[in-house]
Parts: sequence; structure tokens; C-alpha cells
Amino acid sequence: MDERARGAPPRGFRDILPTEARELQAIEATLLDAFASYGFVPIEPPTVEHAGGPLSLEAGRVLEFLDRDGRLVALRPDVTTAVARLVAQRYRDAEGALRLSYLVPVFREEPAMSAGEREFVQAGVELIGPSGSASDAEVLALLAESVERCGLRLGAAAIHVGNVALVRRLFASLPAEARESVLAALRAGDQVAAFALARRAGLAERALERARHVLSLAGRGIEELGDDAEAMEIRHVIHHARELYPGGEELWGLPNVGLVPALPYYTGVVFEVFHPELGVPIASGGRYDVLLAAFGAPRPATGFAIHVGRLHRALYSEGRSTGALRPLVSLRATEDVRVTMRCARALREVGLAVALGAVAETAGAPLVLVEVVDERRVRLADGRVVDARELARELRVPGASPSRAGSLA
Amino acid sequence: MTPLRFALAQGLLLPEALGALRAIGLDVAAITPGGRRLVVSAGDLEFVLARPGDIATYVERGAAELGIVGKDVLLESGARVLELVDLGFGACRFVVAAPREELERSLDDYRHLGTLEVATKYPRVAEAHFRRRGIQVEIVKVAGSAEVAPQVGLADWIVDLVASGETLKANRLAVVEEIASSTARLIVNPVAYHLRRREVAPLVEKLASWAAAR
Repeated sequence: MDERARGAPPRGFRDILPTEARELQAIEATLLDAFASYGFVPIEPPTVEHAGGPLSLEAGRVLEFLDRDGRLVALRPDVTTAVARLVAQRYRDAEGALRLSYLVPVFREEPAMSAGEREFVQAGVELIGPSGSASDAEVLALLAESVERCGLRLGAAAIHVGNVALVRRLFASLPAEARESVLAALRAGDQVAAFALARRAGLAERALERARHVLSLAGRGIEELGDDAEAMEIRHVIHHARELYPGGEELWGLPNVGLVPALPYYTGVVFEVFHPELGVPIASGGRYDVLLAAFGAPRPATGFAIHVGRLHRALYSEGRSTGALRPLVSLRATEDVRVTMRCARALREVGLAVALGAVAETAGAPLVLVEVVDERRVRLADGRVVDARELARELRVPGASPSRAGSLA
Repeated sequence: MTPLRFALAQGLLLPEALGALRAIGLDVAAITPGGRRLVVSAGDLEFVLARPGDIATYVERGAAELGIVGKDVLLESGARVLELVDLGFGACRFVVAAPREELERSLDDYRHLGTLEVATKYPRVAEAHFRRRGIQVEIVKVAGSAEVAPQVGLADWIVDLVASGETLKANRLAVVEEIASSTARLIVNPVAYHLRRREVAPLVEKLASWAAAR
């Protein structure tokens, strides 16, 4: 039998079943709530964009295909680039700050048999217009608050903050082309190649040693850079962000000069969220002041994207994925259909979730089996007969208003 | 905190890797090359022995925090890991090689037929190289002994890893060009490097100064 006949989706894509879907939706609702509380408004860019846009991911990482017009199009590998395109077209003359948020799947090509996901959901924001550390701090604080609202406790070392401009300056004496190769190697994580390239391009041994040393600075170590403008920027952004969002117990936000995210468009302060159970960052973001210029509308911008699936995995690993769940009432019918329907209505009116008949999947919610007695009363499994209000009280459903299911708190 | 897991490639690199770890003061006595114990605890570290090609996968996915593996393996796997130290040992080169007497003829063939067949264990490296050079080739993936491919008519050229060049010579092959040189690298999972810097950094620094002093 081939793959289609067995019903397995193509590699890198997967089914999300009800329990996980419910948990993911609770996370997503929390994130969108947090974004809205900072004044970010939602946008929905299209799933497909033209292939080969400016500053896009390396070839081979994008899922591309020819459409019927013979044009090469791509499933978006990244939302920031799509938002930059959209903003450059639609808000070319807008004044003041644009605060945009999104929650959409993105698509990346992954090698076969690497357990790589080719589709995953990103939730994020873009703050377009303002420059300077206050706007970086605003976005960083929102990132911290968003993940903590979902239940993740941020230790002191969970969010790292770097500055790509500081890294770039370490290699400022190199010719532009060589400098870009060095930065590309650093983005790819290859420090060996980066320093070899820099040496070959003529960076003096002392400057090399200095670069190596500065790149290893993290935490309080950054203080040895004194009042270096870009190092101070890191510290200011963290301090201001903590004013906006003090966080849990510890002082969150760790300076880390060696933080160089993989995406090519960052220009200034950058940040990533780590969790010890995951080998990859949960979220990353930062300032990207030249991306909009590539679409013909130069404006400073900063933002972040949270990998919702990884955030869920981190919460799951901490045992935080089960919360108080509204029980599901499975209502066994009587012969009189009208009475059954009215009974179901009466139960729902007091805030109960009611399924008619047997239930195969409750998404992790406790199942309560009851039998219709009359239009307002049901018989429980232990034989007692209760009315709708008593049943709601017994199952601790608050009031008569329909409650929201599945909080992760 | 769980101990740092350090993945080591079994095979040619292992004795020198163990030598390097011993030199920076780690206790690696419990690891025996060719032994059956593949997971060995040693103080604050846990060593895992695996096939070279798997080291990059372990570290990329965070199953191991650190690893020592050849650059050749990293080039072929494309794994996203931090490469922090060039350890200098295990030197070898990726080369394109062709039958010594028939290089001219195969170039004629290329002009005539428009493509060359290249046998290799390293399809990713080979493909990227010929794409960069603008040479059209058909890659034939073999599991081993690419050097016999031209003799038996499986392919015109090969892309292979050579250390001394003796194998090429014995099979009457000559190097057409070098693709990349390779040595052993210290690799680290990016998240582990940032989150567990306090434990990882001393190992990185010691191995870097050990490598620099060689």
C-alpha cells in the first residue's frame, strides 16, 4: 500500500488530535490576548507568496511550486517577510507606529528522515515605525509576558538578549563582502569557519582574539564592555523591558553577545527564548531595520515569533498541559425525542457541555454519563436523580453562563 | 540538572578525541574503543559513543549537548549545530578524483554527452560542489568503496574523502580538484551552549587552548 492509501500525511506534516488541539487553542487564545493588551492588532497574510523574495531563507528550505500561471510561488517560510511586504504596499505613507500580530502556520523544507516539521504555527508581533531601545523593550516585554501567561515560568536564563550590530562591528575593518561571509558563518553557527574567513580576509590576530572573547560574553560578563553603545543598548532594553513586565520571581533577561539568530535580516537587538527540555529555541525575534527597505519602504521595525508547538512541548514537559477542564455530559436519550432535546437544552442553559449519546473522544475532559428522566432531570450513574441546576453545582460549573473550556493555567 | 552529554564518534577519530579529553583533565578511562558500553558516566559528564554520522544528529536535536565529529560529517549532514573549536586532528580532504589515464577521455565525454556520472558516499557534498562549479553531473550514491566505481564502469568520476591518498593511488585514480578540507570539530547544541554556558564554556576554552597549543 502506498502512503496515500494508508492515510498518513506527507512527511513533516501531522494530524493534531483533539486533546493537543484543545491545549494548543488555549495557548493561542492566551497569546492573542497578551498581544492585544499591548495594542497589537491582528493581520492575516496569505499562505502563498512569490518565491525568492528579498532576504528570504536559503534555497532548499522553502516549499515552492509552480502555479497554473507558470509562476514560482512559495508556502510562506516566515511571517516577518510577508508582513514587511504587506506593510510596504499598504501602509507606505502611514505615520506613527504599526502594531501588528499574527497567528498562522509557516512552512519549511526539511531533509527526509530528520523528524523535521514542514508545517508549524507561529504566533508573533511586528512593531513597525519606531526605532530605539524603548520599542525593543516593548516587544521583549510582550514576549516574556506572553509565554509566562501561558504558564511557562521564566528563570533568569530563559530569555537571552544579544545585539547583531555589536557582532557586526567586531568585523568592521573587513571588506564588506568578507564581513558578510563571516556573519553568514556565525548565523549558521560555524564559528570555526567565521574566524578562519576573518583571518584570511586580513583581520589582525589581536582583533580576532578580541572578537572571539567578546562573542563569548554573557550575563554580567557584558559589563566589561563598559559604555560601548551597542552593549549598553542590550542592557537598556532588558532594564526597560523589566519595567514594563517585572515577571515572576527572578530578574529575567540575560545579556548574551554570542546570540546570533539564523535568520538573515536582523540588524540590532535580538532575543531568543530557551527551555532546557528543547534543543531548539521556543521563540526568537529582534530588530530588522533594513527588511522594509528591500520592499521599497524603508522603516525601522522589530518583532518576534513564538513557535507555538515548541511552547506547548515545553509546557507539557513541565506537566502544565492539563488544567481544570469542563466535564462533558454524555446524555442517554429516552424514547421521547422531544423530551431528550429539551433536557439537553436545559443542561446547556446552566452552562454544561452536553453531547447526545455515546462519546468516543472527549479531548481529555472527564466524561459524565447521565440518562434523561424528563425535560429538566437526569439520572446519574449511581442511580440518583438530579435536576439541571443540581448537576451543574455537582460538576462545579460556574453560574448559568457558558464557561470557556480548557484553560492551561 | 542532568549531566552534560558528550557524543563521541566511534572509529578513526576516537583515540585522538579521547587523547584530547584526557589532556584537558577529563576522566575517560571507562571508555574503550570498540567496547560494548556505549553510554559511560564519568563525573559530571556522560559520554555516548555513536557512529560519526549520528553525532551531528544527536547534538542538533539536543540528545547530546556536545560532540566531537569530523567537519566532513557536518558538511554531509547539514545539521544546525554550533561549531566552536577546530581540534586539528583527523585531517582529510574531500576530493573529486578520476581514473589517471582517462581524465582527458572523460572530459571529452562530458563535452560530448553533457553530463558526468559521479559515484560517492557523500551525495550532498558532491552535489553542492558541482552546482557551485556549474558542472552537470549525475550522482550515484554508494554505501562504500567509491574508488572502485570507475574501474567497474559504475561512474566516470568519484567524490571521496582522502587522508593520505594511498587508496586513490592503489586504484589508479588522480585528484581532479579539492572540494574542502576537514578536521575534527567540537560541536555544541545551540540551546545548551546558551542555557548551560557555565558548564560548557570551560570545556570549550580548554579544548580551544589544547588545539591552539598543538
